Amino acid sequence: MRLWWVRTLVRLVVAVGLPFAVPCIIVYLIWSLPGDPASIICPPEMCPNTEALAARWNLDQGPWHFFTSWWQSALEGDFGRSWRLEPGTQVADRVFESIGPTVALVALAALLNGLGALGALTGLLSRRFHPLIQVVGLVPALVLALVASAAITLGWVGEGGQLAARVGLGALALGVADAALSSTVSGVHSLVQSERLQRYAQMAVLRGEGVLSNILPNTLPALAGQLRARMVQLLSGAVVVEVVLEIDGLGDLLWRATLQQDFVVVVAAAFFFALMSAALLFFQALVEVACALWVRRTPGGVAP
Amino acid sequence: MRTLGAPDPGGGGPLNRKLAGGIALGALGVLVGAGLLAPEHLPPADLGARFLTPSVAPPLGTDGRGKPLLDYALQGAQVVAIPSLAAALVVMFLATVGGLLACAGTGRASAVSQAIGEIVGSLPRLVVVLVVALLLTGGARVTDDPPGLMPIALTWAFLAAPGGMDEAAAVASRLGGSRFVEALRAHGFKSSRIYLYHLVGLNLRPVVVRHGVETFMQVTFLEIALSYLATMPPQQASFTHPASLHSWAEILYMGYRWILGESSFHALALGLGLIGLVVVVAMAATSAARSR
Repeated sequence: MRLWWVRTLVRLVVAVGLPFAVPCIIVYLIWSLPGDPASIICPPEMCPNTEALAARWNLDQGPWHFFTSWWQSALEGDFGRSWRLEPGTQVADRVFESIGPTVALVALAALLNGLGALGALTGLLSRRFHPLIQVVGLVPALVLALVASAAITLGWVGEGGQLAARVGLGALALGVADAALSSTVSGVHSLVQSERLQRYAQMAVLRGEGVLSNILPNTLPALAGQLRARMVQLLSGAVVVEVVLEIDGLGDLLWRATLQQDFVVVVAAAFFFALMSAALLFFQALVEVACALWVRRTPGGVAP
Repeated sequence: MRTLGAPDPGGGGPLNRKLAGGIALGALGVLVGAGLLAPEHLPPADLGARFLTPSVAPPLGTDGRGKPLLDYALQGAQVVAIPSLAAALVVMFLATVGGLLACAGTGRASAVSQAIGEIVGSLPRLVVVLVVALLLTGGARVTDDPPGLMPIALTWAFLAAPGGMDEAAAVASRLGGSRFVEALRAHGFKSSRIYLYHLVGLNLRPVVVRHGVETFMQVTFLEIALSYLATMPPQQASFTHPASLHSWAEILYMGYRWILGESSFHALALGLGLIGLVVVVAMAATSAARSR
């Protein structure tokens, strides 16, 4: 227990390093491919003047130069111009437009999972519902997204496929598919059940105190870890849901850029996904620090 | 979880486990066998036989060009079977290593594997998969040179493995870690028996198999999702398989068009049935691997 801060520190270091590491790794991987990056991005049979292209796209002075200049521009909010997806368009404009729908989609799906977690934590969501949630969770995100798409196409929900309806249904599909909700509910439930069996929790019951207020400080870090893992899963699944439901989000942008081989857009989109993941890691680390301080500063309170 | 003879009331009887194991192996055999039997190319279009139901054109009916859906199903199985199995085996191997490291008393190695898991697990998997797919195509349009499902499946496996390693390590820690091994050594058991039978065979097996089958299912669904998204207009090519092969996603896409008025309900039923088959493999294998 004395070294509780090691994993937290690792999380903080990873959170700080992730937004730097992801673009850096992608850039170096592009350079590690056979052939020079300019001719990879636009083959000579399509673009005869490769050297001029390399100079224009800042690819002529090696990966480190490209990475550092990309970062300098990124710090000023400039992520370059699209090479293939929408040639000449400012990538920053497209990325900033895309973030809103993705955040809304993932936040709504996370809210659904949060409610499930709260139900499992307080016991309001009975264990009898777990098999039902688990069966629904076996359905892949694609299938539930298709059901949502069908509901919109047939006019059951939303007029003319409004963005709000697509995001709402998408969040519902994303929140329960691929075992997202069932993992949240069963994970929180089993964590709380095992903590309730601890001696200090049973002593609290004998003292007439609430169990939840006693076990929460000890379970919060694990709950934060579960929540982060679920959010990362939701960010991943958002790609499929956004493309099927035609939501112009970051996942949809990344998907189209991948198909079109637009490296600049892919690097920018991956950077923003990394940024969101880093924020989640940072949040988890903060919860861990707060809980550790709380436990240590409450003499008569919680201690395992 | 069984340690030294303690029964697990939730584990089911040996008959149930054998039945589940039989179902899992049978369904897996069907999947792999279907892949082996898949034709190299679909037969030419027969517009006189469009959207025939299974009762008219057995066993599975035809698509909008009169091509048998059976061939689509067989080719789809060929696309997913081996890469999904390979990904499952990678995850099972790495999860086993994670559990063994936690019992071998190598704290540093265990800490390093946890740190790697922290980094790997912090990124959305599909984002990493898309970046890998982009790099594997090396600038070529996906229609020209698709990288195939295997590298994508292995990438997914390496991203999924830390979860399995973590859980296996947690199981090993609950057993007592290195103390568990020492206790069994004191009983006179050989190292090979302790690690392979007591640790892996009796205690890590449920976790390892569950993570393996989850990965198997996820990779199969990933292929269907990637192929579905890639074959949706305006794109017409997937990077998970060559253009000559057809994914189960195409069956689902045909089935989806039933909603828009096409007579392809049988394709929808088939697509969902194939997804159900994969779920059955996963659930049966997980049940079969439960502790005694």
